[in-house]
Formats: sequence, C-alpha cells, structure tokens
Amino acid sequence: MDILNNLAFGFEHALTLQNLMYCAIGCVVGTFIGLLPGLGPLSTISLLLPLTYSIPTDGSLIMLAGIYYGAQYGDSVSAITMKIPHASSIVACIDGYQMTLKGKTGLALFAAGISSFIGGTVAIVVLATLSPVLGQLGLKFGPHDYCALMLLGFFCVSFVTTGSLLNGLAMTLIGVLLGLVGTDVNSGVSRFTMDLPFLMDGIGLISIALGCFGIAEIIKNLDENQEITPFNGEIKLMPTWPEFKRIIPSALRGSAIGSLLGVLPGGGPVIAQFAAYAAEKRFSKYKDEIGHGAIEGVAGQAAADEAAARTSFIPLMSLGIPENAVMALMMAAFIVKGIQPGPDMITTHADLFWSLVASMWIGNCFLVILNVPLVRYWLSVFKIPFGVLFPSILFFCCIGTFSINNNLNDIYLTAAFGLMGYLFMRMGLEAAPLMLGFILGPMLEEYFRRALTISRGDFSAFLYRPISGTLLALIAVFILWQVIAFFASQRRRKPSAATAQP
Amino acid sequence: MLNSLLLRGLFLICVSAVFGLSALDYKIGHFSKAGPGLFPVVISGMLFLIGLAMVIQSRFIQATPLSFKFKKVGLVILSLCGFAVLSAQLNMTAGIFFLVFCSSLAGQSYSLVRNLKIFMGLWLIAYAFKHFLSLNLPLI
Repeated sequence: MDILNNLAFGFEHALTLQNLMYCAIGCVVGTFIGLLPGLGPLSTISLLLPLTYSIPTDGSLIMLAGIYYGAQYGDSVSAITMKIPHASSIVACIDGYQMTLKGKTGLALFAAGISSFIGGTVAIVVLATLSPVLGQLGLKFGPHDYCALMLLGFFCVSFVTTGSLLNGLAMTLIGVLLGLVGTDVNSGVSRFTMDLPFLMDGIGLISIALGCFGIAEIIKNLDENQEITPFNGEIKLMPTWPEFKRIIPSALRGSAIGSLLGVLPGGGPVIAQFAAYAAEKRFSKYKDEIGHGAIEGVAGQAAADEAAARTSFIPLMSLGIPENAVMALMMAAFIVKGIQPGPDMITTHADLFWSLVASMWIGNCFLVILNVPLVRYWLSVFKIPFGVLFPSILFFCCIGTFSINNNLNDIYLTAAFGLMGYLFMRMGLEAAPLMLGFILGPMLEEYFRRALTISRGDFSAFLYRPISGTLLALIAVFILWQVIAFFASQRRRKPSAATAQP
Repeated sequence: MLNSLLLRGLFLICVSAVFGLSALDYKIGHFSKAGPGLFPVVISGMLFLIGLAMVIQSRFIQATPLSFKFKKVGLVILSLCGFAVLSAQLNMTAGIFFLVFCSSLAGQSYSLVRNLKIFMGLWLIAYAFKHFLSLNLPLI
C-alpha cells in the first residue's frame, strides 16, 4: 500500500502542467536523437546539461531522464528501417532489418514500440519497489564498502563498454586522475592545475563530456563520410491478432531480463538487449525463425533495452553509484541541482524521487504515441543532411560550455578534450569509462582516505567487512576469469597458427 | 605504420608519468594519514602497470595499423577556437559566422547559401537563448 500511496504522491507532482511539458520535451528530444546517427543520449545530455540551470530541479531531471529513455525508443527506428544502429540497438538491426527487407517494417516498428512500452512499465514497477529497499541497504554501507562497490563498478563498466578490461580500466584511471585536478578538499593544496586559475575548481564536467562525446563523435562521422539513404518504403502498422499474440511473451521475457541487468553494475541497455535476444533464441516458440526476421527477435530486445534504461536509475538513486556513463552524467545533473543521490535521497527528496518515477510512466505513454502512430513522421528526420547538422551541434557545444561560467576559456578546454576524444577513438580507447572515472574519482579518493584513516592504514579491513569483502571477492573472480579467458584464447590461437603454416 | 597497441601503451605510460611525477611534489603522507599526493601516486602507478602490460602485449600480438586524418579534426578544433577568440575580441555574432563557415569546410560539400542559412538560424536560436533563457551571450 505504501508504494501505491507514494506513486499517487509522485503522480500528483509529475502531472503538473510544467512537469508534463518537460517530460514531453525530454521524450521528443530523446526520440529525435535516438533516430539520428552519430548522436546518443550521452552527448545530448551533456549538451543540454548547462541549459538546465535555468529550469526548476524536478523539471530538468524529468527532462534529462526522458531524453535517456526516449533515445532507447528512437534508436530502434533507425536500426529497423535503415540498419543504422546506436550502441543500444545493434540487435534490432538483425531481425528488424530482415523484417524491413520482407516488407514488414510497420509490424517491426509496432513490435518495438509496444514492447518498449511493456518493458518500461515493468521496469517502473521494479524501480518503485526495489529503490527504497536498496536505499535502506545503502545506509549500512561504510567507506570501505563504497570503495569496493565503486571498484566493482569500474571493473564491470570497463569490460562491458569496451570489451577489453585493460583498455576500459586504463580509461577509468585516466578519468580518475582528471577528476583530481583542482583543489584537494582535505588539505587545500592545488593539484595538477599548472598555475592556471580556472583549473582551481577542477576541470568542468561539461568540457570533458562535450569534448570526448559530442565533438569527437562529430569528427568521427566526418572522417567516415557517412551518407544516409532515407527510408521511403510503405508502413502498415497494425498487426493481426496472431502476430500481436507473439509479441507479448517475448516482451515480458525481455522486460524481466532488462530489469535485472539494468540494476547490476556495468549493466544497462547494451548488454540487456544481447541477453534478451539470446533468451529468445533459446526459449521462444518460434526460435527457428529468429535471425530471419522474427517478431520475437525485435520484441524481446526492445523490451529489455527499455527496461534496463529505467532500472539503471536504481543504483544511482538508492546508493548514489552510477552504473554506466549516462547515469554518471545524470548524477552530475542531480549534483548541479544541489541534490546528492544516495540512500538519503528517497527520504529527503521524496517528492523529486517519486515524481521522477511517475514521470517515467507518463513518458512511456508519450513515447508509445510518438513511436507507434507518429513514427512515419519521424522518418523524415533522416532527410536532414549531416552538413547542416554538425555546425549546429558545434554551436550548441560552444553555447553549452560558455553558459556555465560565462567564461570563453572553457571553450578552449572543450576543444582540447574534443581533440583528446578523437585521439582516444583512433587509438581504440572508449571514452565512456573515462566519464565514470572522472565523476567517481574524487568520491573514490574521499572514501579511500576515510576508510584507511578509520582502519589506521590497514588494508585487511577491506577484506574483513562482509559487504566490501564480498564485492572484492567478486572483483577477484572477474580478474581470474579474464586471465583464464586470455590464456585459453592464446592456446586456441597457437594450434590454428601451426596448422596455417605448411 | 603505427602499431595501435604499442602506441596505446606508450600513451598510458606518458600520462601516468605526467600525473605520477607531479604528484610526488605534493605531500605523500602514509596510508593512515594520506597526503594530497598519495592517491594520485597510487592511481598513476596502476595506470603505468596497465601501459606496461600493453607494451609487452604488443610484442606478442599481431600489430594493427593506426592512422590519423588531421585535416577534419584540425578544422573542427580551429572553428571552436576561432569562435572563442572572435567572441572575446569582437562579438558572438562574428564567432557564430566563423564557426559555421570554417567547420563546414570539413563536410563533404560546401555551399555559401546553405552556410548563410545555418548562420541565420543559429543566430536566431542564440538570440532566443539570450532573451528567453536569460543566457549571457555577447551577441552584439
């Protein structure tokens, strides 16, 4: 009953005209950027973060959340119609595009839209029930436990986002080091500032986010000379009853998988869609059709994608630990607004928490309208040439950076990080873990120093505490698994190299 | 031809050296009472080890080539810096003009009329930001 009361309280706040407007803006912008190749929720949230200074707290967070989960809806459309995926819609390209080739684009889009709606709804129930429980658990966490949790997050995110533990971990550590630039809060010493006054407060989050994601992404697209052929086929949206019946079980399976994987550190939409697709291949009644344009191949992954996007808010809001780069930016948005996400947030900012949860369901309704009946109008977005789009994005990057401190020096910093982001990209280093390291770095240092002060410099305290001990054991298992996998792959490679040589 | 893994490893070693050696100038303290230099030294040390592992790995794993195309990245960075310089010296209108016309050189096609339209559109957006969102943009 408590949850129903809390949800009613949340709806009361979320259904104000102002919050409805911000929710709608977030969903429209999210769908728009989800459709556009070369722009993801990460770069868009970083782009819009400075503009939220002049928007009320609940409205701005509702809008940014809407952009994130809205983008998960939108990116399936470009994947299904033109085989242009974002990271979280790679799987939609497989069966979705096959359905387009068979002339079933409308059915694929309907399946993706409705499944996303189901995934989102299930995830909101999970979010509403699990967050307060996890928040209570969060109160039991000490500095040792937070340290271990952050390290586990670093390991998982590093591996999941880059596929290589070493690359991801390296980027996380660079992010941590960049996060240390500025004045040390404990001693007041300026670190790594090169005597530049504007670095005393540290490097601006927006400069790094816009440089490494927004600008680097534009340069990558310019390098690849991306050309898009707009989709001009026919769309018949309404499915038959037997087709509709095939959507529901897959969507429910995908919702359960996505909700679970969204909560885990390093989880999120990318990994959830693959897991849901694998589950469909294993358990679906029509598993033989999967890979050749089956409804289940679209429905399961779309539901998982959307569910994971929503439940990834759980660790952020209940423990204060973002579990992927977008959540790290959302955490920055909370902090910018003077709210520290964590176990206390649900009690001290109950109105904000529950209105955010309620707005997610309202956003779900907006999105299903935007992405099912109105989807044909969205397809005209592909007709905007990249030549028009990229100078505009650069302009928004400049305005976004400048407007934080009204300081033009920040634009030079953004340009420098743009160049750095490009070099990272060319060297095969993924920038997403850097963002997580940058945001969590100062917090990790604080907890690390506090933990060691409490235990008088004794590292064994990390192992004896039940929570941190368990989390560190998980990290050890993860490293061991990586080492075994490396040697196994080397062993497999040797015989194949030997047979290749005459 | 550049080997991406070797270059990546050397790059990480350089970053760790820059941060690690600078951190040695700050008070290190000890684990029970850490100074401002301790944590950066620990992190730089870990980064150095990862860089070293990559350099060693590059000797055993087949090299993957790496190439950089500096023309487009150069134009984009130049347009951003030009925007900042012109906004400071003249006004942001000149900055937007330079940004659009310079960055478009990095695109596949170049059209003066199209650039003029983009410039006007962006100027109007900046004007709306200034007057409706109260952003302090020095447009004139």
